[in-house]
Amino acid sequence: MVLSATTDGGERKIRRNGSFGYVVPALLLIAFFFIIPVLMLLMRSVLEPTPGLQNYQELLGSTTYLRVFLNTFTVAGLVTVVAVVIGFPVAWLLAIMPDKWSRLVMAIIVLSMWTNLLARTYAWMVLLQRTGVVNKMLMSLGIIDKPLALVNNLVGVTIGMTYIMLPFVILPLIGILKAIDPAILRAAALCGANKRQCFTRVLLPLSLPGIASGALMVFVMSLGYYVTPALLGGTSNMMLAELVAQFVQSLVNWGMGGAAALVLLLVTMVLYAIQLKFLNPNRAR
Amino acid sequence: MLLDFDKLGGLKPFLIGLTALVCLFLILPIVFIAALSFGSSQWLIFPPPSWTFKWYQMLFADPRWLWSALTSLKIAAIVTVLSVILGFLAALGLNRGSFAGREALRALFLTPMILPVVVLAVALYALFLQLGLAGTTVGFIIAHLLIALPFSIISIGNALEGFDKSIEDAAILCGASPWEARIRVTVPAVSHGIFAAAIFSFLASWDEVVLAIFMASPTLQTLPVKIWATLRQDLTPVIAAASTILIAFTILLMVLAALFRKGRKA
Repeated sequence: MVLSATTDGGERKIRRNGSFGYVVPALLLIAFFFIIPVLMLLMRSVLEPTPGLQNYQELLGSTTYLRVFLNTFTVAGLVTVVAVVIGFPVAWLLAIMPDKWSRLVMAIIVLSMWTNLLARTYAWMVLLQRTGVVNKMLMSLGIIDKPLALVNNLVGVTIGMTYIMLPFVILPLIGILKAIDPAILRAAALCGANKRQCFTRVLLPLSLPGIASGALMVFVMSLGYYVTPALLGGTSNMMLAELVAQFVQSLVNWGMGGAAALVLLLVTMVLYAIQLKFLNPNRAR
Repeated sequence: MLLDFDKLGGLKPFLIGLTALVCLFLILPIVFIAALSFGSSQWLIFPPPSWTFKWYQMLFADPRWLWSALTSLKIAAIVTVLSVILGFLAALGLNRGSFAGREALRALFLTPMILPVVVLAVALYALFLQLGLAGTTVGFIIAHLLIALPFSIISIGNALEGFDKSIEDAAILCGASPWEARIRVTVPAVSHGIFAAAIFSFLASWDEVVLAIFMASPTLQTLPVKIWATLRQDLTPVIAAASTILIAFTILLMVLAALFRKGRKA
């Protein structure tokens, strides 16, 4: 930017006018196949079957759908808490351990992240089934007598989703933890703080913006998940994204489908706005 | 002290132990699926009673699996090309331009990546039903392009940030036309960004499940749609075989990307 400001003024003008043209193809794609269809879907939620807000009344007024909302927030909340509690210590170690080892751990994290979502979910369906490895192991260790129901319920969804979300907590946190100056902790120790105090009064508060930002991101991503809850969850703990798909695919009720989609969209946008406004680590500095 | 690996004290075994467990948690399901795809048990008993290629034979004997894999490849290849071209142009515009609303536009381009994909899938499905694009290759390409494009814009945008534009200007001063300078000077200089954009775009399309479920028709399915449809019926080991092939493919692309990065550094 600075460099182009030093070039000749006339030439710059030409280039400036021209540069908007470059974004036009991408902009057309986004306008026609993203903005317009989403707006059309939202229109249908207030126009079908008859104009009015009855779809929203039904969606927000019935206990069936309220349970879907509740379940969506429960799963997303559980996954976020578990992923942060497990992910923070891992990111901590990754930030300070010798490069040789951290590269290996990073390779494992990235591999799991890029493995096809269905392959990962299938793996957990097999691992967690009644005759699966997890149940067999728990039984041979004498922890349980008969197989536990680990799929088609909250446990299955939480395990499968945590598996997917862990990298999204760990990767951004590494950068945050690396940016903390170890001298601050040495100073705290010199001033007489013990290990626990160093952790709770210095390290944790300094990494809190990163934790909050990662947690919110994982929470929002979990809210909109479709595939993993549909395969690992049961019918009694349906999530919002499944509800949207069900309205459209099985019930062909575009009005209700649009309304559920708008609710999901609104919650997502509001949470992202909070993220950008208050938790953006780049802006905090 | 807490940020010094050698002075962690009692915390060190705890952190290392937990990290090792997390690594196992992350890698074992993948290893497990690969192992089961060679196991003889129909009921996916582990460890398998004996080893076999039966599931791979079944996979390759069924033309629908093969056909869906080819469909996936074709769509991903076209999406990659379009995503890199549109992404390069958009990144160039966002990087060079000073028109109003540049930041808002950048945010808009990245929105499809952060939005719940099911909303986009349902909205596109409704539009495509009206346009007659539902269940067509064109529909698939448009849908996958929407989620691949943000990866291209980010990767190529980052590369352009690190490129000194005055080199391009020098080429123009030496008599190259603006586009000649861009293609022969700028493109090679940001080739690592273009390469990353291509790999990410390909994987984004190759792995897409939710959009694909809504874009598919009984006669036009990508590999993930075929796996999804089969999964809803039973957990046959044929899926383990298909998943293993998908995973192998991903590892191959990741190794390629790593080698490319290493080659650049050397």
